[in-house]
Amino acid sequence: MALKGEPHYVAPGDVITANLGFMRGHGTYESDGKLLASVAGVVERVNRLLCVHPLKSKYNGEIGDVVVGRIIEVQQKRWKVETSSRLDSVLNLSSINLPGGVLRRRSAEDEVMIRDYLKEGDLISAEVQQVNSDGSLSLHTRSLKYGKLTEGTLVTVSPSLVKRCKNHFHNLLCGASLILGNNGYIWISPIILDDHQQEQMRFQLPSTPGSSSVKTVTHVATIEERETIARLRNCILALAQSRILLYDTTVQYAYDASLKYEVKE
Amino acid sequence: MADRILSDFEISYIKQGVLADMRSDGRSCRDYRSFELRSGIVSNTSGSAEIKLERTNILVGVKAEIGQPNPLNPNKGRIEFFVDCSALASPKFEGRRGEDLGRNLAHRLSDLYENSNCIDLESLSIIPGQDCWIIYVDALVLEYSGGVLDCLSIAVKGALANTKIPKLTVIGEGEEQEIEISDNPFDSTSIDTNNVPVFVSLSLIGNQFIVDASHEEEACSLCQLSVGVNHKGSICSILKEGAGSFKHRQYNEAISLASEIGVSVIEKITLTNNTAPEKML
Amino acid sequence: MADFEYLSPEGLRSDGRRPQELRVLSCNISHCLQADGSAYLQQGNTRVIATVYGPHDVSRRSEAQHDKAFINCQFSMATFSTSERKKRPTGDKSCLETSLALKKTFEAAILTDTYPHSKIDIFVQILQSDGSDKAVSINAITMALIDAGIPMKDYVCATSVTLINDTPIVDLNYFEERGPGPELIVGTLPKSGKIVFLQVNSRLHIDNMEKVLKEGMNGNQRVHTILDTLIKKHLEKSILT
Repeated sequence: MALKGEPHYVAPGDVITANLGFMRGHGTYESDGKLLASVAGVVERVNRLLCVHPLKSKYNGEIGDVVVGRIIEVQQKRWKVETSSRLDSVLNLSSINLPGGVLRRRSAEDEVMIRDYLKEGDLISAEVQQVNSDGSLSLHTRSLKYGKLTEGTLVTVSPSLVKRCKNHFHNLLCGASLILGNNGYIWISPIILDDHQQEQMRFQLPSTPGSSSVKTVTHVATIEERETIARLRNCILALAQSRILLYDTTVQYAYDASLKYEVKE
Repeated sequence: MADRILSDFEISYIKQGVLADMRSDGRSCRDYRSFELRSGIVSNTSGSAEIKLERTNILVGVKAEIGQPNPLNPNKGRIEFFVDCSALASPKFEGRRGEDLGRNLAHRLSDLYENSNCIDLESLSIIPGQDCWIIYVDALVLEYSGGVLDCLSIAVKGALANTKIPKLTVIGEGEEQEIEISDNPFDSTSIDTNNVPVFVSLSLIGNQFIVDASHEEEACSLCQLSVGVNHKGSICSILKEGAGSFKHRQYNEAISLASEIGVSVIEKITLTNNTAPEKML
Repeated sequence: MADFEYLSPEGLRSDGRRPQELRVLSCNISHCLQADGSAYLQQGNTRVIATVYGPHDVSRRSEAQHDKAFINCQFSMATFSTSERKKRPTGDKSCLETSLALKKTFEAAILTDTYPHSKIDIFVQILQSDGSDKAVSINAITMALIDAGIPMKDYVCATSVTLINDTPIVDLNYFEERGPGPELIVGTLPKSGKIVFLQVNSRLHIDNMEKVLKEGMNGNQRVHTILDTLIKKHLEKSILT
């Protein structure tokens, strides 16, 4: 084992320990009574659990994580969501907040109108409800802060760069709102202060059933907001390239430091 | 070439941004992203170049071989283009799925070079009607993230400028002419690529044309205009793709924008070619 | 054979190497940012790029396996990679055969049971060919898989070996590959010494097999040391701040 204080780097096939008293976690496997690493990374030890975290990997969801995902398929009673994990995630019709905030049973009518709520290409913010037996994630948007994402732009980084925090929704001082998805998808948008306005913007039932699309009120971003958003986007990409962990303070510092340059740099 | 699906909101955000002249990454409608061009990288070839523009990466290798000229043009050499959309760029190019796109791009390039008469093909002829130089230009798309045609034309221009054709002497006369190729690697000629044009692609978003669209912007543009521009700013080729339409006035503005951008891109390429070639690693 | 001396009387090869000496190996990990894992590997004048996409959901139901991941591999050579221009980058018989062989090799090395129902795509492209294409490809794919964070039993290291004047020669360049001796490519998991890839072209006497194989495996150990050092350096450099 490495000296105290020094990170223990391992590569596939390296022996982590021959001591059988440890439990094996992610990134390790057992062979010949020894615990070997299966990925290249740093060994982490939590009590008796040893695991290795690789530098880059697909998103491994955990219950309670906030993610940003894109709808890729509409099935009968659910949507398939792409979240940069090894299997596509699932969002059931019963797991979304229906417009109006009303709690009611999903009827057959809802199934027919499923495309009116969310269709292919839409971006949503959601929380991981559970991890299924095959490893795929079940999402839900049963809270007013989750749901369809409107004005703004998406930035993709590696999932390992997003720090797990209590709160992933940040309203930055510079005048933009940030959603740091644990899966590496980051949504930057202008600040929306009014919750009610937010709810209104996402879903508005068509006046008569059967009409083609849900009308939504879009908030048109001003040019200053656009500049802020563009600047934030470039900052986040720069931070990602330098492999700096992303959370609200790092982004804020990067933004402040970048003010002396023009946005497109 | 648009294959990413975007949500309606993202599309409207991009459209509004274009109207306000502030795109998602802060560029204006006229700004071209910075690119890196390196030549002389692959040693098995007569010339090569690699271009990196954000996340688009294309490697071009040029090989000069001796073969028979086209019977319709016995006094001229030939240039043949081949574009390989490698599976490295995206899993959707696996197997034969990238071939259509590759063929399309190669066809555009060969049209451009034919229409603009930019390379002196007669100088590539060795024995008229019998032997000539055939320049095989092979492009490999390693990473794909929008702006492929532009990058392709820039890399091809760079690779051709870097190409060295060995000098040869024709011995004998009449039917028994033989070619002797010089063994000396430094005894070679290069191709004059001053007149070679590059493509500048403009994408129509809403009612405005933008230059150098990113992958997301390409996905929400109604149509694209690919303009071939040479170093004097003259237009060598125009091609419209896509289902949208535009007014005459927009078209005029677009063409003059393309001309400006084309000239500045070519200046940058010339600057790069004049600096010493680097090795890849 | 007459004009070309593969092994001089002093024991040096055409490029000045000793028989067991490998070519200079350099690698750029995470070369392509679009892919989940990638590596650009250069051994002598042979240059290869390998990219890995995955693990991700299967695109076709037929590919989904309930207990392990589906591995897909495509090997292709750039048309300008060989000294004579190659007409088709991929799809010809030898590329298909190599693709299948590589797929089987990595099925043995990747811990596929951690990812049931998913698919891992491996793509490898030869940019410049100067001998030992398959061996260098295997090394490049190993680095790309490690970069993608896909769990594997061990590195997969490969070298090519031939026999000239009863001396095994390791890590062949273009001329040596086409020389008179047999060509053997061996890929192993260095820690356990298990062989996962073995290909022999042309005749090799059974008495010589042991010798040649042993040299190949020694070569693999040396490749492993180099690759391991590169990975550890990359880890130190890239660890999150």
